[in-house]
Amino acid sequence: MTSPSSAGSPGAPKSDDHVEQSLYAKAEKIYPREVHGLFARLRTLGVLGLLGLYYILPWMRWDGHQALLFDLPARKFYIFFVTLWPQDFFYLAVMLILAGLLLFFVTALAGRIWCGYACPQTVWTEAFLWIERKVEGDRMKQQKLDALPLNGRKLRIKATKHFLWLAFAAWTGFTFVGYFTPIIELGQRLLSFNLGPWETFWVIFYGFATYGNAGFMREQVCKYMCPYARFQSAMFDSDTLIVSYLPERGEPRGSRKRSADPTALGLGDCIDCTLCVQVCPTGIDIRKGLQYECIACSACIDACDDVMDKMGYDKGLIAYTTENAMEGKKASIFRPRIIIYAVFLVAIMAAFAYSFSQRIPLGLDVIRDRNTLYRETSEGLIENVYILKILNMDKLQHQYELTVSGIPGLTLHKDMATIVVASGGVQELPVRLRADEAELVVRSSDVVFSLVAIDNDKLSVTEDARFLGPQ
Amino acid sequence: MTEQQVPKTQKCIAVLWPSFMVAIVATGLFFSAFDPDDLYPFGEQTEISRMGIYSIGFLVFWLITAVSGIGTLYFAMTNCMRRNPDSRDQ
Repeated sequence: MTSPSSAGSPGAPKSDDHVEQSLYAKAEKIYPREVHGLFARLRTLGVLGLLGLYYILPWMRWDGHQALLFDLPARKFYIFFVTLWPQDFFYLAVMLILAGLLLFFVTALAGRIWCGYACPQTVWTEAFLWIERKVEGDRMKQQKLDALPLNGRKLRIKATKHFLWLAFAAWTGFTFVGYFTPIIELGQRLLSFNLGPWETFWVIFYGFATYGNAGFMREQVCKYMCPYARFQSAMFDSDTLIVSYLPERGEPRGSRKRSADPTALGLGDCIDCTLCVQVCPTGIDIRKGLQYECIACSACIDACDDVMDKMGYDKGLIAYTTENAMEGKKASIFRPRIIIYAVFLVAIMAAFAYSFSQRIPLGLDVIRDRNTLYRETSEGLIENVYILKILNMDKLQHQYELTVSGIPGLTLHKDMATIVVASGGVQELPVRLRADEAELVVRSSDVVFSLVAIDNDKLSVTEDARFLGPQ
Repeated sequence: MTEQQVPKTQKCIAVLWPSFMVAIVATGLFFSAFDPDDLYPFGEQTEISRMGIYSIGFLVFWLITAVSGIGTLYFAMTNCMRRNPDSRDQ
C-alpha cells in the first residue's frame, strides 16, 4: 500500500517511470460503467442539488434585485441581503480564504470528498455521462459503437449526443454570464439576437470549456490539470478517510463458483470480477492501493458491495476507511491538524463577522481638480477645487452634512444646498475650499473632509486631502 | 526527457492552463483597485463598455502570463537537455 503522501506526488521514486509514461502517452478513452448503490445515490443527489442551484440561483430575486449577481458592469456584488462594492474587496478576499481553509479542513477529515461529490468537474461530467448513456446506451454498447466504422446509424447517434451536449453547454455558458450581468435582460437580449459582443464571447467561451472538460477531458482534468489534486495529499494523515481495498481480506483473488468455499480453494474474498475497475471514472484499479488518480467517488465501493451481496459475503471489501483503521490502530478524529484548522476557521469567521457588522455603508472619495493647482478669488482668498464622490452603500436614502477642517478660517462652498444620496447611489459633488493666504504656513496643507448622515451619526466617514497655495 | 518526447498538447496545456488561472487572479485584483471608467489607456478615453474592458484586461493578462509560461517551458527544457546530453538520442 502506497502511503498517501507519496501517492499524491508524481515524483514518488518507485513508480516514477510508470507515471512519466502514462503522463505523456495518448490517453485512452475511459468508459465508466453505470453503478447503483448508496454512494451513487448520494452523488446523484449532490449533482442534482448543485446543478439545480447553479441554473436556478441567477433567476432568484431578492429585495427587487437578482439574489446573486456579481454585477461587473455596475461594479457591485449582490449576495442576497449584502451588497459589496469595490471598496469591500477585503471581505471578498477573506471569504475566499475561508473557503480555502474549509476545503483544507474537510480534506484532512474526510479526504477527497470534494472531488467525488461536489467538484464542478465531477458534477458536469456526471451530467454529460448521463446524456451519453441515454443516447448511446451502456458501457458495452458505447464500446461497440466506437469500434464500428462510421456509418449512418453511428453518425446519427453521435450527432444527437453532440447536439445535446452542445445545447446543455450553451445553456451553462449563458447561465454563467447571467451571474455577472443581470440574467433577465440578458435573456431578453438573447431572444432578440441582440447580445453584446463580449457577452457572446463569454457564453461561447464558457460553453466550449464545459463541452470540452465534461465531454472529452473528464478524468484527465483531475489527473493533470487540477491544482487541488496535486496538493491535497499534503493535508492527509493516517486518520484521513480514504477509499481502500482490504488486501488481507481479498487476497489471493480468483474466480470461483457462488457455491464454492473460498477457504477450501485457498482464496480470499475478491472474485476478480474487475467491476471495480470498470466503474472507475479515472480508470484505475483500487486493488493496487491508494493512487493519486483516485477522486474518492466510491463507485468501486458500490460495485463491490453489490457483488459481495450476490456472493453472500460481507460487504466492505472496498470501503471508506483510514490507514490507521486498516492497520488495526485506533482511529482518532481530534488530531492536532484538525484542531488547528478548526481554530483558524472559527477565529477568521468570528473576525470576519465582527468586522462585517462594524462596516460603515458610506464611502467618500476626494479627487483634486487636476487642471489648476489653486486660484485667487476676487476677495483675495486662495481657492482649491475638489470633486467629492459620495457612495451610499446603505439600504436607505440619507441626507448628509459635509464639514471640513485643517486650516483656520477655511470655508466650504458647494452648489447644492443639501446632499441627498439614494440607496446604492453615487453622488458626485464639486466643492470649493477657500482660505486666507495669511493662514497658509506651507505650500501644501492637510485638510480633512467629514461626512455624516443627518439622521444617523453612526454613518460617518472622514477623508484626507491637500490644499495647495502659493509660496 | 527530451523536448521531442513531450507532445504538443501537453506543452500547450502546461503553458495555457496555469497562466489562465493566474490571469483570473490578476484581473480580479487589478479591476478591484481600478474602475475601467477612470482609466485612460495611452491618454485616451475609450468607448468600450466596462464588460469589454474587463474582458480585454483578462485576455491581455492571459497573454502576458502565457508568454512568461512559454519562457519557463523553454528554459526548463533546454536546461534539462543540457544536463542529460545523451537523452537526446533516445
